[in-house]
Amino acid sequence: MAALLEAKGVTKVFGGLTAVDRVDLTIEKGSIASLIGPNGAGKTTFFNCLTGLYQPEKGSITFDGHSLVGQRSDQIIGLGIARTYQNIRLFKGMTVLENVLVGQHVRMKATPLGAVLRTPSQRAEERQAREFAQQLLEFVGLGGEEETLSTNLPYGDQRLLEIARAIGSRPQLLLLDEPAAGMNPRETERMIDLVHRLRDKKGITVFLIEHDMKVVMNISENITVLDYGKKIAEGKPVEVRSDPRVVEAYLGPGVLLDTSGGTEKK
Amino acid sequence: MKKGLNTGLTAFAVLTYLILIGLPTRLEGAAQPVLALLLALFFFAVLRSQGKEMGRGELLQSGLVAGLVAGLLVVAEIGFFVGLLADGVKIQPVFDKVVPLNMAALLNVRAGAIINGETSLLAYAILTAYLTGAGLLGGLLVLFTRSGTASTVRSTRIPGGRWLVILLPFLLFAFIYYLGLDGVKTFGNDKNIVRLLLVLVATGAGLFALAAAKEGVEKLAIGGLLAGVLLFLPFVLNQFQNSVMSIVFIFVMMGLGLNIVVGYAGLLDLGYVAFFAIGAYVYAFVAAPFSSPYISSLLTGMGISPDSPLLGYWSAIPLAMITAAIGGVLLGIPVLRLRGDYLAIVTLGFGEIIRLFMLNLGDLTNGPRGLLQIAQPTLFGVAPSALTSHLDAQGWIFLLAIFGSAVVAFVAIRLNDSRLGRAWVAMREDEDVAQATGIHLVQTKLLAFAIGATFAGLAGQLYAARQINIFPENFSLFVSIDALALIIVGGMGSIPGVVLGALALKGLPEVLRGVDEYRIVAFATLLIVMMIVRPEGILPSARRRRELHSAEAPPPDESDVSDKPTDGQLEGGRA
Repeated sequence: MAALLEAKGVTKVFGGLTAVDRVDLTIEKGSIASLIGPNGAGKTTFFNCLTGLYQPEKGSITFDGHSLVGQRSDQIIGLGIARTYQNIRLFKGMTVLENVLVGQHVRMKATPLGAVLRTPSQRAEERQAREFAQQLLEFVGLGGEEETLSTNLPYGDQRLLEIARAIGSRPQLLLLDEPAAGMNPRETERMIDLVHRLRDKKGITVFLIEHDMKVVMNISENITVLDYGKKIAEGKPVEVRSDPRVVEAYLGPGVLLDTSGGTEKK
Repeated sequence: MKKGLNTGLTAFAVLTYLILIGLPTRLEGAAQPVLALLLALFFFAVLRSQGKEMGRGELLQSGLVAGLVAGLLVVAEIGFFVGLLADGVKIQPVFDKVVPLNMAALLNVRAGAIINGETSLLAYAILTAYLTGAGLLGGLLVLFTRSGTASTVRSTRIPGGRWLVILLPFLLFAFIYYLGLDGVKTFGNDKNIVRLLLVLVATGAGLFALAAAKEGVEKLAIGGLLAGVLLFLPFVLNQFQNSVMSIVFIFVMMGLGLNIVVGYAGLLDLGYVAFFAIGAYVYAFVAAPFSSPYISSLLTGMGISPDSPLLGYWSAIPLAMITAAIGGVLLGIPVLRLRGDYLAIVTLGFGEIIRLFMLNLGDLTNGPRGLLQIAQPTLFGVAPSALTSHLDAQGWIFLLAIFGSAVVAFVAIRLNDSRLGRAWVAMREDEDVAQATGIHLVQTKLLAFAIGATFAGLAGQLYAARQINIFPENFSLFVSIDALALIIVGGMGSIPGVVLGALALKGLPEVLRGVDEYRIVAFATLLIVMMIVRPEGILPSARRRRELHSAEAPPPDESDVSDKPTDGQLEGGRA
């Protein structure tokens, strides 16, 4: 398998705090990878560096042959990296369908003049965008909710809509920031299934942050662990779960990690 | 009962305000029916929101009590004033509009009767009856537009009520036409004002009719009919009425532009008048080159006579649009990184800078003396007033303003429902996420500024043609504030809302000519009341209404909510 994303020595500093400290990371094409670590370990900051919301001070990030450092977030999504947010950030005043249409913005070409004149190409594009949005909503399980105001969706469905919006941009790599946070066991099952289908049916590589160990151990093929901004472990779930440094980071020195439950408090 | 009492007291306060600003004096013989009608509409609005759970009897009783309370209190108040006036007490220094004529119009008697203290009890009784009737009418209207029992008003509306709403503007327009016929003497001498008021109300009613029409053929037919009637108006109205309506529609054009910047893209621009001024001055430069010392000397130097216009109205349109758009981009670039309050303050400054330029660039703009004798728009080189005696100069401007508003509204509707329109809204909702979703912020913001400015430039050009002479004072901060106020009142982001806001804020003050000095007070009161009772505006966009009322009511599409109503409500409540 070829590397889709390669980060080397990525460092992000806020004042005196090094939030991400010389992190190296490789994501294989077609894999499902996870990033875990205690609260404040720098996971979301690392995501923000990948998607252009933050610019790293040092290091290089290469995605599919392009360097991401110095690119704006709207350019990065154009290259094929889409994401969701830890604290759901939908466009609240827009309907479910409109959210997914905005998600496709970067793949659409219509100009303002085309929109005013309703040129054939603009109409065709608009129709295709709506059809594609419809398909994506069916895919994540939100079919029939098109006209609902996104803020009126139940919490779990809002997370699904964020994913639909993200894959509207037809990404190669999807970054999910705690997709199962705050979900009940049934919703979590659905989310795990969705992540699998994203990879298997849509061919999207998935990289996710998650606290729920059941989810992480269940779906990840590769896990990277951060603590205090540094990468402390990396490998297959079995390897990581027994790594003493990981156990220590999560539970303090001298305790064995109970892998069965997501006991992490939020 | 108690609700009726409260409503009556509020109505009394509203009536007192109208009396103190001298509305009855303006309305003369029509004062009683017009006030009663206004009051009935007020009661209708209040009772409709209050009386959702009320039964038929209770509703009518509320209306009756409210009307009676308002009527008795107003009559007592008038009696008090009349007593003072008859005794020769000088109340004018305190309430300058409380004059015998005002009272006489209210009671429908001669002014002499007030001064001599000869008013009969019957006159008071008739006024009370009118106002009580208004209360009853308000209650009846509520009953008529909903069915008697159900509390869910929306779904159980009887079809007759809908058709009443749809037909109302056409009935009003027919009445306006009738009033304009020679020899019709209704409403005494002030037919002029009454007719203008009716035009404003009828146009507003037309918007509601359009909103009530079913999607598809019906909407198209009603829209077409309304457009036809509207285009017919300039030929029927007189010079004064046409001039008021032309300014209303010039502000519609401007409001639609500001609506893109503020309503869609969420960029609070308080210097919007700048683009209006640019459009006006650019047209004045080419249409009256002799007024500008610099341009006329430049032209003379080039061997061209500055005495005739360089460009006609139509050929100057692209120039005005492009110059205004460039102005929009030039303003946009430095403020790209600013949000909210900071943006408002910087743009406010920009508006003032342009005005000061106009004032102080004496060579180019002729300073405070203004640009004079701006050429009038023609129709293929002919002045339309020469073609038909039914269309005066102001009517022609009104016609052009309707046309301009239609074009601008068309562009705005198309843009709103496109990739760019969605990008604007997304940017308004969350700028960072919008960018991370692939929206180019610089491009999207500048497009909003430029398109908004273009619309204002078009409006400014027509304004210059309407005014014939323009001065820097025409482009003060108040133009920006008017434009902003009208989109807030009408409904942010809503195109019919902009029209309604312009009718209410630019049209009504003209009806209340004598009250113009109270306009700012009226504005403030209106805005405050609006923000409390209806923060989304009178005719809000669907999106805005959903946003502000998602906590109270399920979305209009009932089928969507029915399978999991609790979830929807729960989330809405939390939001």
